Amino acid sequence: MTWFGVIRTATGGMLRHKVQAVVLGMVLLTSTASATLGLALLAAGDTPFTRAFAAQHGADVTITVNAARASSAELAATRALGGVTAASGPFSEATVQVQLTGQPFGQRVLAGRSSPGGPVDDLVLNAGHWPNGPGQIVLNGRPGAGPGNGARLGSVLTVGGVPRTPPLEVVGFANSITGTADGWVTPGEITTLRAAGAPASEQMLYSFARAGSYAQVRADVAEVSRALPAGAVAGAGSWLAAESEASGNGAIMEPFVVAFALIGLVMAVLIVGNVVSGAVIAGYRRIGVLKSIGLTPAQVVAAYLSRVGWPAAAGCLAGAVAGNLLAIPVLRQSAGAYGVGSQQVPWWASVAAPAGMLTLTLLAALGPALRAGRLSAVQAIAAGRAPRTGRGYAARLRLPRPAGLGLAAPFARPARAMVTLAAVAFGSCAVIFAFGLHSSLSRAAASDSLSATVPVQIQQSGPGGGPGQAPTAAQDAAVTAALRAQPGALHYVTVYSGGVKVPGITQDVLAQAFAGDASWTGYGIVSGRWYGAPGEVDVNTAFLNASGLAVGDTVTVNTRTAQVTVRIAGEVFQPSSEPQLYGSTQTLPGVARGKNLDHYDVGLRPGTSAAAYIQAVNSALGTRSPWGATTPDISNFYSIATGLVGLLALMVAVAAGLGVLNTVLMTTRDRVHDLGIFKALGMRPGQMLTMVACWVAGPAVVAAAVAAPAAAALNTATVHAMAGTAHTGVPASFTQVFGPARLALLSLAALVIAVAGAFPPASWAARARPAAALRAE
Amino acid sequence: MRHQSVPGAPSDVIWLDGVTKAYQAGGPPALADVSMNVAAGEVVAVMGPSGSGKSTLLNLIAGLDRPTAGTVTVAGRRIDTLGEAALARFRARHVGIIFQFFNLLDDLTVEDNVLLPAQLAGASRRQAGARARELLERMGIEQHRDEYPARLSGGQRQRVAIARALVNSPELLLADEPTGALDTATVQEIGRLLRELNAAGQTLVLVTHDPALAQRYAARTVRIVDGRMALAGAGVPA
Repeated sequence: MTWFGVIRTATGGMLRHKVQAVVLGMVLLTSTASATLGLALLAAGDTPFTRAFAAQHGADVTITVNAARASSAELAATRALGGVTAASGPFSEATVQVQLTGQPFGQRVLAGRSSPGGPVDDLVLNAGHWPNGPGQIVLNGRPGAGPGNGARLGSVLTVGGVPRTPPLEVVGFANSITGTADGWVTPGEITTLRAAGAPASEQMLYSFARAGSYAQVRADVAEVSRALPAGAVAGAGSWLAAESEASGNGAIMEPFVVAFALIGLVMAVLIVGNVVSGAVIAGYRRIGVLKSIGLTPAQVVAAYLSRVGWPAAAGCLAGAVAGNLLAIPVLRQSAGAYGVGSQQVPWWASVAAPAGMLTLTLLAALGPALRAGRLSAVQAIAAGRAPRTGRGYAARLRLPRPAGLGLAAPFARPARAMVTLAAVAFGSCAVIFAFGLHSSLSRAAASDSLSATVPVQIQQSGPGGGPGQAPTAAQDAAVTAALRAQPGALHYVTVYSGGVKVPGITQDVLAQAFAGDASWTGYGIVSGRWYGAPGEVDVNTAFLNASGLAVGDTVTVNTRTAQVTVRIAGEVFQPSSEPQLYGSTQTLPGVARGKNLDHYDVGLRPGTSAAAYIQAVNSALGTRSPWGATTPDISNFYSIATGLVGLLALMVAVAAGLGVLNTVLMTTRDRVHDLGIFKALGMRPGQMLTMVACWVAGPAVVAAAVAAPAAAALNTATVHAMAGTAHTGVPASFTQVFGPARLALLSLAALVIAVAGAFPPASWAARARPAAALRAE
Repeated sequence: MRHQSVPGAPSDVIWLDGVTKAYQAGGPPALADVSMNVAAGEVVAVMGPSGSGKSTLLNLIAGLDRPTAGTVTVAGRRIDTLGEAALARFRARHVGIIFQFFNLLDDLTVEDNVLLPAQLAGASRRQAGARARELLERMGIEQHRDEYPARLSGGQRQRVAIARALVNSPELLLADEPTGALDTATVQEIGRLLRELNAAGQTLVLVTHDPALAQRYAARTVRIVDGRMALAGAGVPA
């Protein structure tokens, strides 16, 4: 027979087993889509930033220096420090309040640079030109970014708090991969922009030989600090923070996408092996016939590999397309952060995932195919006709006979039962894991946004009537009056927010001071407890990482107006690379100043509608108030992640169900004659359904027992991996989402998957005419 | 030629009226316009060449298949209109079937094979067990009750199949080439068993190629050729 004939033989076999071909294709679609998405996220979390960082010679460390304490010569001398491989600067720096067309445009760090280039932080000019005279500014980012409609080329910014509020025309947009400044002006411009009394500062940008971790970066900053006079270093920024921000949510999603991809991969291998070995077993007689008409062993192997190869290739290609489509919303999230254009699935991911899956499939098929190739024609024909030997387990089960017969069936084909068990175990593990992850993410979202406990926030939504358009004391007082006047409020607390300095942390620490009891706000506690007494604070994980401190330690906090010694009472869940600190206004009086009044958190009485309350408060405040009631922002990361988890779990569960369907279908085909006998002896359709469902019920129960604890462990590991990527610890409650009753209920997923997969062939068996089944070979 | 049957005789266990079975629409029927009846306690042999429609006739009487046209009444019940579940119940209670190749379930012991129809009909293992042991003893294979069918001889397997067919005390026993897979000596044994059953009042329809078997054990022979009844004649009662 020619090789063309071999292909026709294989195609003929495939067409006669359409369901198996569809199952195979669907399983590989699922696995390949997950693998493509996983690879895309891995690349998205690393490659574009790394590429841009290398191209722009990004700054490992940006150090802000108090110019009064270090001379230019001393700064220049730091270039020669042992670990420094390159340096740019010093550049004059000023932090200014900016307005655009009369509206606040935020606080901006501006640096004076004569050109965008340099050995470190080689800026990419995206639009316009570099400032060539006074009154010109290049902004970091792209046109249209920022509050309102954002600034564009030709927009004029005004700097507040300095004489004559100097105007700055936007003449260009540039990108700094490590965000060393928000804008750049000519070096001479900085002095005119600095507020009266503000200390002059300079920035130095460094590349170090070793800056791969926060600890190394801290050591690098310490080395520079030691080389300069005491107190010269006013702040430092790390490339790791920029990378974390740029990698964004895609990186955080990596752990669970990889987990699902691995589950899909193992399932694909199992199911493919099962399909091919099932085809070989069921096709013994056919193999014998093929060999007797002249097929060589190699051609038999090729015929069986082709039989698997075509649907597998189709599934892999479709999976690559599906993976690309799934990646779009996820990658879009972090695309803007790099400043290197839109992100797409890298071409190699679209090739490697399907090619890898196809290779694995063919490898899984190779063993049974080789077995088919090695069988002699006589052996094959004889094996195809040999009766199966019995097992006595059925008789020993004291159950209704159809159930007993069904439960005993796996013992007749233990290998096939093991594949069913594994497919159901992986599928149900994915479903239980998805439910757990959904619960964990929901708790994280609620804790991150405080949406469960703080359904309403009063935030500044417009310019106030005070200096710099801050709200006046009267406008602030109107808020508390409005809150007191509304009957729905159970609690409210005023929150002040401002930067503080903490020894050991070079950058500013964001401090939040609560004017009153804030324990009800519901911050997730990773370790320790919520502060309870004056002198106690809570901090986030980034604070502990940056400072090297632990819960229970004391630390001196410089609130700019005073220094206070506080004890760290607890670590709160606040996923950010920015160090944060929480305490009462008594503990942090320097933060609790009018200009730092940030927002009000409001807790409502049970049964109070948040929407109605918001409407009532806003009516009370009136349209002229700078304050407005709103619901807290919930990052769309959680909704995207939850949607993705659900989709991946559904795909894996469907693949598992298809795997079961495939196994039961093969068993039904093998046992069609027996089914005819059962019917001839009086087995009713309902009894037949019960029996076939019970073929998989036993493996499903075992699968559930295995999958439930595995899913719980996988959830804990994944949540911790995600939290690690987001630079935060997690409260134990985020991973303790499986109560015994809930886990038992979720374990039913195994039975649901098994029975759903078994149902189509079972109902076929129940409907089949006994005479037709008895005739079948 | 249409063979008239006498409808509605109270003693009839089987009554077929104008039964036709075609497996493909528009194709030639496997069975065409067959009418016949079998009285209680009667042994009827159905003979004919291969592919003549004998097994199709048996399947229709057993309720394993449905006719394309005509009515099938067995044990006083019209079965061609029954649903699958009702047919299964009907088979379990009223019909025992013996197959040429035994059709025993290889993964069940001899006793479990015999017990199965009773258990499917709702009998408890204890109730059915006594009956199964009685039948196995009667068939002379009681000592093999815990063995698997694959270890038995052809004759022993057919005895198991007969015991299984009788476990629910059916009104009708259908045997499709019951000796077709057996050696000559065993054919005699099985024939003797069937005769004993009939002597005890068991109604029996015997599909066979073997004229000697038909002549020796059947009171009446029905011959089918190309799906049609060719003639009916008296056998020689043993």
